[in-house]
Amino acid sequence: MNKDISTPVKRADVSEKLMGTACYIGDMELEDMLYAKTLRSSEPRARLVSITYPEMPSGYFVVDKRDVPGKNIIKMILEDQPFFAEDVVNYIGEPIALIVGKDKAVLRELIAKTSIEYERLKPVFSIEEGLEADTPIYGECNYFAEYRLKKGNLKEARSRAKYICEETYETGYQEQFYLEPQGVIAEYKDGKAVIYGSIQCPYYVKNAVIECLGFAPEMVRIVQATTGGAFGGKEDYPSLLAGQAACAAIKANKPVCLLLERNEDIEVTTKRHPSRIKLKSYIDENYKLTGMEADIVLDAGAYAGLSGVVLQRAMFAAAGVYNIENLKVKGKAIATNKAVSGAFRGFGSPQAFFAIEMHMEHAAKTLGIDPLAFKLRNILKQGDKSTTGGIFREKILLSEMVDRVIQMSGYEEKKKLKNANEYKRRGIGLSMFFHGCGFTGNGERDHIKGRARLVKNEEDHIEILIANVEMGQGAQTTMRKIAAAALDIELNKVFFQNPDTDRVPDSGPTVASRTTVIVGKLVYDAAMELKTKWETGKRQEAEVQYQYPEGYQWDNDSFEGDAYTCYSWGVNAVEVEVDPITLESEIKGVWAVYDIGKSIDDRLVRGQIDGGIVQGLGYAGMEVMENRQGRFIQRSSTDYIIPTAKDIPMIQSELMCEPYSDGPFGAKGLGELTFVGSPIAYALAMEDALEMRINNIPVRPEFLMEVADDDKRN
Amino acid sequence: MVAAYRPKNLKDALEAIIYTEYIVLAGGTDLMVKKKQGAGLLPAFDKPVLFIADLEELKQINEKEGYLTIGAACSFSSLIDNPLIPALYKQVFLQIASPAVRNIATIGGNICNSSPAGDSLPLLYALDASIIIENSCRRIEIPIADFITGPGRNMLTSSELVTAIKLPVLHFDYVVYKKVSARKSTALSKVSFVAMAKLKDSRLEDVRIAFGSVAPTIVRSRDVEEAIIYNSSNGSLDKTEIISYYTTLIKPIDDQRSTAFYRRQVCKRLLVDFLGNWLC
Ligand SMILES: Cc1cc2nc3c(=O)[nH]c(=O)nc-3n(C[C@H](O)[C@H](O)[C@H](O)COP(=O)(O)OP(=O)(O)OC[C@H]3O[C@@H](n4cnc5c(N)ncnc54)[C@H](O)[C@@H]3O)c2cc1C
Repeated sequence: MNKDISTPVKRADVSEKLMGTACYIGDMELEDMLYAKTLRSSEPRARLVSITYPEMPSGYFVVDKRDVPGKNIIKMILEDQPFFAEDVVNYIGEPIALIVGKDKAVLRELIAKTSIEYERLKPVFSIEEGLEADTPIYGECNYFAEYRLKKGNLKEARSRAKYICEETYETGYQEQFYLEPQGVIAEYKDGKAVIYGSIQCPYYVKNAVIECLGFAPEMVRIVQATTGGAFGGKEDYPSLLAGQAACAAIKANKPVCLLLERNEDIEVTTKRHPSRIKLKSYIDENYKLTGMEADIVLDAGAYAGLSGVVLQRAMFAAAGVYNIENLKVKGKAIATNKAVSGAFRGFGSPQAFFAIEMHMEHAAKTLGIDPLAFKLRNILKQGDKSTTGGIFREKILLSEMVDRVIQMSGYEEKKKLKNANEYKRRGIGLSMFFHGCGFTGNGERDHIKGRARLVKNEEDHIEILIANVEMGQGAQTTMRKIAAAALDIELNKVFFQNPDTDRVPDSGPTVASRTTVIVGKLVYDAAMELKTKWETGKRQEAEVQYQYPEGYQWDNDSFEGDAYTCYSWGVNAVEVEVDPITLESEIKGVWAVYDIGKSIDDRLVRGQIDGGIVQGLGYAGMEVMENRQGRFIQRSSTDYIIPTAKDIPMIQSELMCEPYSDGPFGAKGLGELTFVGSPIAYALAMEDALEMRINNIPVRPEFLMEVADDDKRN
Repeated sequence: MVAAYRPKNLKDALEAIIYTEYIVLAGGTDLMVKKKQGAGLLPAFDKPVLFIADLEELKQINEKEGYLTIGAACSFSSLIDNPLIPALYKQVFLQIASPAVRNIATIGGNICNSSPAGDSLPLLYALDASIIIENSCRRIEIPIADFITGPGRNMLTSSELVTAIKLPVLHFDYVVYKKVSARKSTALSKVSFVAMAKLKDSRLEDVRIAFGSVAPTIVRSRDVEEAIIYNSSNGSLDKTEIISYYTTLIKPIDDQRSTAFYRRQVCKRLLVDFLGNWLC
């Protein structure tokens, strides 16, 4: 393999997926398998007074909190969320029990005939109510996390400021809408629990099941089933399902399948955190952004989940791509009686970037200066300091990327043209953003400490043993390419199966744009080790563990230092046309340039770019999920609208490359970055077309109509 | 499990439904969703099912004596491909669901489902379409506005089938169709709007206007249309008055797809645009 690693190869998983032979969790059937259906709360917040089940036919039974052999708490950051409700329920859809048995139709009936008596408690539905809750859901002040961050001397920036701009931005829910709904199958055999599931993080699931069952680690085994997509949705939630199904399998002494229905999944599983972000910026007479205060509040839902880390990522991204020397950032993750907010592509940073990019635009407009020039005057350069005082060590190609996107999109002509046209309906917007690759803060160094192993057999075939999963993004292909290129052998001599925790070391979860840059590097290092000790025809192994790169530092108590060791960058432009009658928007063009270091496979990269952009455009323009009194209004696949191919034009994208010295072949993170910029560029394009200010996404025509309000105007 | 019957011809089908109450299934794209029970479970049909999608008698399209007759079991795709179908109709059908669904979804199913969001309906109302209903001994024709009696309700009884839709072949000089929905494919209408105008010596001779998804059934008023024709011929057309007529008929709701306010404003704006562009 001596051609350029970026040259696309056939995906390892493409044939079985195109032919429909790939075995997803819903296709698996174990001998004697039973099904489980979840009994859920219909109240947003209540004490469980009593549950009356119908008489159970033989072979049917209930599994609830009393059937948890270990701890009825899902192992995550805080210990607050039970596998099965104890005596209080905190959101509509919270699982109370499973009913288990052979026939799904009977299970549905049994669930329908079960009655639950509740004693209602005062619910908390919004960020505002959550901030002032007199009966908190969690702790004394009703938040799961509260952090503060400081850099430089804000007081001084404040006193020097010539202009001050202050605004609030809000973003809504977003549902991952992965290919197949969540599901697991649990089996209990000879004292060992085995779980198959549609999952992103085999070891997260393993650790959760160990605690749930109180088993020794070697008595729990997790096997990833073909996973058709996850987007973060299968990072945290599968732990809950796996624990529940394991308890059921132990009770039944038979395999138990717990598969969510699509609409059930939409309603009860984790979603992107809604946010409310206040920014106040201090600008000097040269239009330099010298200081900023940010107040970030996330709607975390009923339990803590991953909200604390999502909040950290949002806070660290508060300044966007701008060099702001004096900063104060506050953040809170508020408890509300709604489904738990969780991981979703971008993990807090899309909310923060939306706020700062809109803020920069609005500030410039208020000051009467050109927004793009104002942004470029303030962008980060190599050697500048991040929000946490870390150093941007590598070259930052932002201004070249902006130039290129301007060229590709015809940005300047389009801006001018529109100003000349009185009946203005077209608009164009441009966004700049980055993504910190890998875990935030000390995650990689102190928590994950990922390991990767390569095994060579007597035929000199290599198997990659890592805990990271193929979930449509192409990990099976990129990992094999990295190993093959490092070893300088044919790609078809390298194998990578779905991980099984009995076989693979813990290389960490498949999240945080870390798989290629962090785990890929471990695979590369293991391959290099194997290469040096290579003996043809002999079985050999090489295992390596993550080393925190030299010269970086991070203090997790003060949030000081390098929150990330690697950043990838992007610039997007979106052009829209707004129907002047219905105020619907049509996307006319999308242009994108990214610096992701070295691309490991250009076609897979293209897949991530197109997918991320489309998902971002859905987030900003289409995907509406309202919650009223704790109930989601758009809670079915009919009502929750995600974009189709017809809604998006061809996406024009290009790459620029500033390699990361610690990434495999210079690669950086990619998956989440591609999501961050398009919502902003879309919102800015809408502003441009309608000559108004947009502070909230999704931008619905319904909202625009309220603003237009013909009756009042006439 | 329920019994299923696949009759060989229309006669067999009509005879079968005299004695047994069947659930009539054409393309099944509404029924399968309605009766869905969950992954791995059969749909919940509580009566035997009669499959009519393959009945040749229900798949005919012909034009005779100034009328276009469309078999009830014609799929939207077959209509889109048929040269007898006018361009405006095709424009309407092309915005229904997605290619795969259009390949099996029938026009008869859209009518019998009788949803206020049924996308073929505003067009059929505007054209004064008649629905042809048959049972084993008779065949009757009913105007679509009488056939549909409420949201999801119509006058069909269990011993009858809708066999065809009959449309007068009309020529209009200006036609507008707008489906307002959250995305371009596979989305139900927030609002739909059909308007057509026919001119003679630059005088308005006929006008048809219909709105979908903004009231329990499709909104169309021949009285208001006639007022528009009359007033425009003597130059006294008052747009505000026309709008206020329709405002009393349009009764949208807030739901998961849109808001009442948005729907009302969009109807108004589409109407103003149409009246402004083509009439005044
Ligand atoms: C993904 C998806 C997207 C959709 N998008 C749209 C859309 O954009 N616009 C839209 O209008 N609709 C849409 N629909 C709804 C549906 O496709 C249409 O209403 C379609 O026309 C129904 O036709 P069918 O033949 O499938 O009806 P069926 O489901 O077979 O039948 C519908 C009803 O009509 C009765 N029926 C059918 N034919 C006859 C007959 N000849 N005589 C007596 N009774 C009969 C049936 O008993 C049943 O009650 C969508 C559906 C799906 C699944």
